[in-house]
Amino acid sequence: MSMTLFTSTGCLRCKIVKRFMEERGLAYEEKDIKADGREAFQKFYTANRKSVYRGPEGIEFPVFFDGVEIRQGLGAVIAYLHSGKKLDGLVSVGTLHKEWVDGLHVSGGDPAHAQEFLSVLRYLKGNNMKLRVDTNGKNSHILRQVFDEGLASQVVMDVVGPINLYGLILGETVDAHDIKESIALIPRFSEYRFETTVAPLIDQLGKVRYMTPREVAEAARLIEESTGSKKHPYLILSFRPEKAADPLFKALMPITPQELLAYRTAAREYLVFADIEK
Amino acid sequence: MTYPSVYPTGVTIYNPAKCWNGYTIFQANELGALLIDMNGREVQLWKGLHGFPNKLLPGGHVMGSLGQRNTAYGMQDQIDLVQVDWEGKVVWKFNRYEYIEDPGETPQWMARQHHDYQREGNPVGYYVPGMDPLVDRGNTLILVHKNIKNPGISEKMLLDDTIIEVTWDGEIVWEWTCSDHINEYGFSEPAKNILARDPNFRPAGGGMGDWMHINSMSALGPNKWYDAGDQRFHPDNIIWDGRETNIIAITDKKTGEIVWKLGPDYDTSRELKRMGWIIGQHHAHLIPRGLPGEGNILVFDNGGWAGYGSPNPGSPTGIKSALRDYSRVLEIDPVTLKIIWQYTPAEAGYVMPYDSNRFYSPFISSAQRLPNGNTLITEGSGGRIIEVTARHELVWEYISPYWGQHLNLNMVYRSYRAPYNWVPQLDRPEEVPIERIDVKTFRVPGAALPGRMKETVVKGTLPYAGGDNALCVGQTEE
Repeated sequence: MSMTLFTSTGCLRCKIVKRFMEERGLAYEEKDIKADGREAFQKFYTANRKSVYRGPEGIEFPVFFDGVEIRQGLGAVIAYLHSGKKLDGLVSVGTLHKEWVDGLHVSGGDPAHAQEFLSVLRYLKGNNMKLRVDTNGKNSHILRQVFDEGLASQVVMDVVGPINLYGLILGETVDAHDIKESIALIPRFSEYRFETTVAPLIDQLGKVRYMTPREVAEAARLIEESTGSKKHPYLILSFRPEKAADPLFKALMPITPQELLAYRTAAREYLVFADIEK
Repeated sequence: MTYPSVYPTGVTIYNPAKCWNGYTIFQANELGALLIDMNGREVQLWKGLHGFPNKLLPGGHVMGSLGQRNTAYGMQDQIDLVQVDWEGKVVWKFNRYEYIEDPGETPQWMARQHHDYQREGNPVGYYVPGMDPLVDRGNTLILVHKNIKNPGISEKMLLDDTIIEVTWDGEIVWEWTCSDHINEYGFSEPAKNILARDPNFRPAGGGMGDWMHINSMSALGPNKWYDAGDQRFHPDNIIWDGRETNIIAITDKKTGEIVWKLGPDYDTSRELKRMGWIIGQHHAHLIPRGLPGEGNILVFDNGGWAGYGSPNPGSPTGIKSALRDYSRVLEIDPVTLKIIWQYTPAEAGYVMPYDSNRFYSPFISSAQRLPNGNTLITEGSGGRIIEVTARHELVWEYISPYWGQHLNLNMVYRSYRAPYNWVPQLDRPEEVPIERIDVKTFRVPGAALPGRMKETVVKGTLPYAGGDNALCVGQTEE
């Protein structure tokens, strides 16, 4: 299977991927989009537009293609080269730049592959990258290892709601102890933030509604009780209906910034630094 | 400014027949909220009650704050906003805007209120017939501070202005952040340049750029412009002014967008050139319905030093790029931008430009339109409060006798006149006229009385020449 790596002149992340492939003896063809690979990439992009992420600042490089799979961005390409599709969900294309790598999801994939995931993190950190890891609280044992090895420079935890709604929002069974373990661990990282998105729910009557300010306050209380402190950076985010997969949620009206204020007021009862996204 | 070293304080001029008589409330510097009658009798002092500003409410209540944040860490942040009754009991309080942990200080919630607030029922915070502010319920608009980073303005830490609306129960139900609208203010490239390098940097809290410095905020209230279909003047919209930028603007309450503004530059149209550069202004507000001049904007145009622009001899870096050494009170039609009424050194009777700086407060100050058409003006830096008629006659003058211990000024940030019946606890006071003293003949004890002991005619002398051609400097228009 032939491997193609689309790179950009001077791209540090591309160099790290190339070094990784060379260390493992993986043969590949490099196409520099700022040199003679420009035309080839345009052709590739035209054929695979939906599979290539384009952020506000353009397309993230490197872009890897082995004839079947496309992976994009430093973390995702290294993860694929390291473990194939096993790390899908744990690693995805990131949006941060310079020395930062994100798209590293402790709770996002199969925890059976924790060791491969950690191995990828070690490699990235070993190449002087700073890692932003995110979690929703699941797989606290992986988060513990990330902490113990000092792999993350920043961690963001999405506390999806109060513990009684956690499973409903995630659509799966969750272990409350696991979530609380993660919450308790988060403030031990040198840089961290808790977040809650005001998520839509389908209540017992089948009616779609957003979480209430009281429910977000309960999420804040969960953080306070799990950490023993009211003083954590905590951001309340509004849900983006246009990005929802569920058509029921897609039809919702977005919460306005002014409506978010009531959530902030409620959450500040338990977390005094609670704020809302701009 | 030619201040004599000795001059009277208290009320110095009072014409009861031409005044709109009532009580006047202001923050006596480093003393408390002071209520005086027309003769200057101090009828009530809420001792120690801060006020940025103090405002009187019907029923003998007053608004202010219980204290100020340590100035090593905060810049003009009041810890709370409170309503206090006649006996000094706090009947309403808001402080839950930001949880503050300053080094060496007890961590606490703070309002970070500064410069202004408005209680529902009245758009501007002073007496308007039929628009009494609510005293036992209602929402309150509050101007507060927030520290932010916004690389679109400057890489430095910024002290931003936000406006919040809080319910009687203290819940924040609306919030507007000034820096979110940076692209709507119309800054020139030179202004953006100096704003990025020096956003009016102040040392508090390790340094922060007080870049806009909003010092006034009020609702428009019902008005003729909106009634005629001009949506920019929706009664709920909010007018504010930024001292450091020379901007006066109206914020749409629903969208947050800037829908009307004056400044930051005043040389971009014929109307603005005619108006002249507004500099470092205070207390810009729409005169409420029911008062003479309703629908016009009343503003104390301080002069002094303010604005961001091109470097010039008076401003080598471009910060505080506009300068003027006298003040003006302007009443402006917000649609035609014509000056409808003004009180400047000329109307005050001073010879311009030679004596202009005798009406001059380079910071603080305010103007209130009174029901009889008079205007109460706080010429704040010198602690002078005056009432002038529509024809510019000075009918009341008061000089604050309160110099601060920490700051050796008798400054008055803002004052308000309120009707007697807003203080039912007091009998209507006696109004005793005070004739203007002729300073040509007034002497302090021990000084020689007017008159010459000997007068000698010198033959061959010519009459003194009149006019300003005899002076070393000419008028700028010459």
